[in-house]
Amino acid sequence: MGQEKVLLVFEVTLIVLKVIVLSLLLFLLPLPMTWIERKIAGHIQGRLGPFRVGPHGLLQPFADLIKLHLKEDIVPDLADKPLFKLAPIFSLVPALAVFVVIPFGEEITIPFLDRPVTMYISDMNIGLLYLLSVASLGIYGTILGGWSSNSKYALLGGLRSAAQMISYEVAISFAVIGVVMLNNSLSLVEIVRSQGEGIWNWNIAYLPVGPIWFAIFFIAALAEINRIPFDLSEDEGTLAAGYHTEYSGVRFAFFMLAEYVAMFTMSILNVILFFGGWNPPFSLPFQLPPVFWFFGKVALFVYLFMWIRFTLPRYRYDQLMTIGWKILIPIALINLMLTGLLRI
Amino acid sequence: MNEKTFITNIFDFVKKILFFDFLKGLRVTFGYNVSKSITERYPDQEKWIPYDRFRGVHTLNRDEQGRELCVACELCSKICPTDCITVIPMEDDTGRGIADRVPKVWDVDLARCLFCGYCEDACPTTAVRLGREYEYASFDLSSAVLNKDQLLVPQPIPESFKGGVHAKSRLIKTKEGIEVKADLSQTAKRKV
Repeated sequence: MGQEKVLLVFEVTLIVLKVIVLSLLLFLLPLPMTWIERKIAGHIQGRLGPFRVGPHGLLQPFADLIKLHLKEDIVPDLADKPLFKLAPIFSLVPALAVFVVIPFGEEITIPFLDRPVTMYISDMNIGLLYLLSVASLGIYGTILGGWSSNSKYALLGGLRSAAQMISYEVAISFAVIGVVMLNNSLSLVEIVRSQGEGIWNWNIAYLPVGPIWFAIFFIAALAEINRIPFDLSEDEGTLAAGYHTEYSGVRFAFFMLAEYVAMFTMSILNVILFFGGWNPPFSLPFQLPPVFWFFGKVALFVYLFMWIRFTLPRYRYDQLMTIGWKILIPIALINLMLTGLLRI
Repeated sequence: MNEKTFITNIFDFVKKILFFDFLKGLRVTFGYNVSKSITERYPDQEKWIPYDRFRGVHTLNRDEQGRELCVACELCSKICPTDCITVIPMEDDTGRGIADRVPKVWDVDLARCLFCGYCEDACPTTAVRLGREYEYASFDLSSAVLNKDQLLVPQPIPESFKGGVHAKSRLIKTKEGIEVKADLSQTAKRKV
């Protein structure tokens, strides 16, 4: 009797611990990410980036953090106040909730307790479905933030991002369907497992449909997380700051946090769906930990997102819609048929 | 001709499908990313030392025995197009200057000076020179007027020093304020 109870308590504590550790890590994620992004921006533009606070500007994110927390939290007089206050939470919670299903690796053993621990909180058999549906809830934060703040810039930003995210949600879902067809599973762990043993089993190498799915997924992911070249909802050239124009202080920090977490999520998804997750690309004579491969690939994608940000200009709104509806979705449909034929 | 355009069209289409232009753009930005940045970390890490033809703040020179070269002939103030140099002569036979006539006042108003260098050309004894000092920003106009005693202090960069280089510099905090010293031994030309 006692044995089972102890086990149950252990399992529950383990999950709570995982959740706490993961959320702490995610809350701290923007600190290195902003620093890296500003450094990359600087070097691509022939500058140095932050250099004043700490060695090589390493303490700059902390200075920014302190600044954001000391700023006055302004709520516009004519804003819809309850919604205005809720919007940052609405955009942050789905961004964090997505990580329930995201695996970072296979089981590992705790050194002293000698018990296996999985590197994910839950391995749902409908993981991808959960992920897509929860991630798309994040739009509510953007839309509510834009519409409730009683500002023309925020309103336009909110409208644009509503249209944009809904259009690209279709393309991204098609790309995910393609991956599901290739791997016969909706569980993220299963998808990674079936891509094991070398680079030729990764979904990106499933010719000819793999690269096309990847291109669709990647472009739609760029649009989903509002990054350049599709960052029309916060188009600073025409809309001041887009949907979060009226936000300041900690609420603005929440939006930024959600944005960086979303970028991290999309990098992880790219790696899991197309680049074999934590599987090494080729068998090495020595063993590298799977976490190394996983985060190495994720880091490459994060760099790619930032690299693209400082390479491409922003698309016009009608071009954005054209790419979404007239190019990505038809290609996705044709590719879906092709994938089906290949998988018979 | 017609066939050729058809082929080019196909070629362009294939390029579009393979994201050719996009990859080209990425290559350019990556090249910048790995290349050296051109930021000059002015003033506390690096400092630009101008060429010796640079026309900065005036200096008044002395000869080898330490006598003032200026004979207060007032040619500089007369030729000055903006009328920014004030010279008042006086008699002094104690050996302060190379002649018995020395300036009592030799003021230059840097707020009005246009650094044309006419004073340099007019000077018969090469007493006035435009040096290489270029950091004379100030909060009020009165400190833009430099008098003789300030101008007679030798400037930190010697006239013989070849310019057009970057020098390492360091920040020294003193009680009077912050001073930035250029380290002339560590200079380098940089590609921009």
